[in-house]
Amino acid sequence: MSRLALSLRINGETHEVLTAPHRTLLDVLRDDLGLTGTKENCLEAECGVCTVLLDGRAVNACILLAAQCAGREVVTIEGLARGAELHPLQRAFVEHGAVQCGYCIPGMLLAAKAYLDEDGAPTEDGIREALAGNLCRCTGYQKIADAVLAAAAALRGSRAGGGGCTHP
Amino acid sequence: MSFEYHEPAAVAEAVALGARFGEAGRFLAGGTDLIIQMRRGKVAPRHVLSLHRVPGLDRIEANGAITLGALVTHRAVERCADFQGPLGALVEGARVVGGHQIRNVATVGGNVVNASPAADVVPVLLTLDATVTCLGPDGERTLPLEGFLTGPGQTARRPGELLTAIRFERLPPASATAFLKAGRRRAMEISVVCVAARLTLDPARERCLAARITLGAVAPTTMRARAAERALEGRPLTDDVLREAGRLAAGECRPISDVRASARYRRLLVETLVPRALRRCRERIGGGA
Repeated sequence: MSRLALSLRINGETHEVLTAPHRTLLDVLRDDLGLTGTKENCLEAECGVCTVLLDGRAVNACILLAAQCAGREVVTIEGLARGAELHPLQRAFVEHGAVQCGYCIPGMLLAAKAYLDEDGAPTEDGIREALAGNLCRCTGYQKIADAVLAAAAALRGSRAGGGGCTHP
Repeated sequence: MSFEYHEPAAVAEAVALGARFGEAGRFLAGGTDLIIQMRRGKVAPRHVLSLHRVPGLDRIEANGAITLGALVTHRAVERCADFQGPLGALVEGARVVGGHQIRNVATVGGNVVNASPAADVVPVLLTLDATVTCLGPDGERTLPLEGFLTGPGQTARRPGELLTAIRFERLPPASATAFLKAGRRRAMEISVVCVAARLTLDPARERCLAARITLGAVAPTTMRARAAERALEGRPLTDDVLREAGRLAAGECRPISDVRASARYRRLLVETLVPRALRRCRERIGGGA
């Protein structure tokens, strides 16, 4: 079987990967690179647990061939915090009790980040629509929506106070 | 899944590869249908031709007529400023397809080629009398979208041919569109029935000059409800006339019963949603009977 040599940019680092053409970004992240924060579940782009950012946009890593990601910027949950400093979304999820079993949370956080990068002053309806592709079986979504609203406010505050400085 | 992977860098290269591999090759756009079908074993191409490095196919051109390149995503349609006014049904159709993750990658071209009778943007394109352009070894040809869709998952596209663009004209004055979808929940849902409508009224906004009514998930392909359209054209659009169009559309659709709904329920939805979509068009144009 043929193999492809891919250069993947993940969380700002370049990884050289040799892989079969059919393997997805999700396969390579979890099995080749040990980045298991990106979860695996439905494998049909229905549940959102495998959500990552590709060139800043939320996508389902389970239906994206790794080969399609060569030369593009991928951000996984491992790339969201800055060192020990949690991203404002992560802090808000902790503070609002938005996490129960946690399995859907990496995908929730990245889908929420992509949305807040587009719309810094969202409504709750907008947040619920932006997270419609991410299923959670524990929380009932209210605390997640509350956390994203709070994070949006915190991000606006840090932007206003920081002279245009934005969190990556 | 086992296949050879190709990344053409230009339309001509993509078409040459398509011609070379014929039925053994498949073009890959967003992959939201194809990758899932491959994983389920429904299709097993020996060559996958990813289009994401072909420049220009992701453009929406809106100078005069509107051209959607084959790689325009649902999210791009949803956010396109040109579709905020009379063409607003494009936004309404695009924004109910999956979640943001799907809409960020799923293309309108892929949706057309996949030819699901339940596709959401396809009925809107049919109300705009859209055409599709295909490029293959024998050159380029342009077909009406309606004739391009030949059955569930079936189109007039020849093996190796690449759908490059979808085109439609801007609407004349006193026109509006609307799209409505019925599903079991609001998000991440395949349509039980979807309806799109387009109305053009006379300058006095009293009589209907042109009507298009299209129905999804009630026939082997997305279909036009021609009897219902004829019942509107030339007439003042009173509520009674709109309700009559709904009854005619319910009569001419050909739904089946499946896991999502019974045929009878689908007909009831058509009878309800058609007048509702037409009323919405009438309100958006303003004035009228």
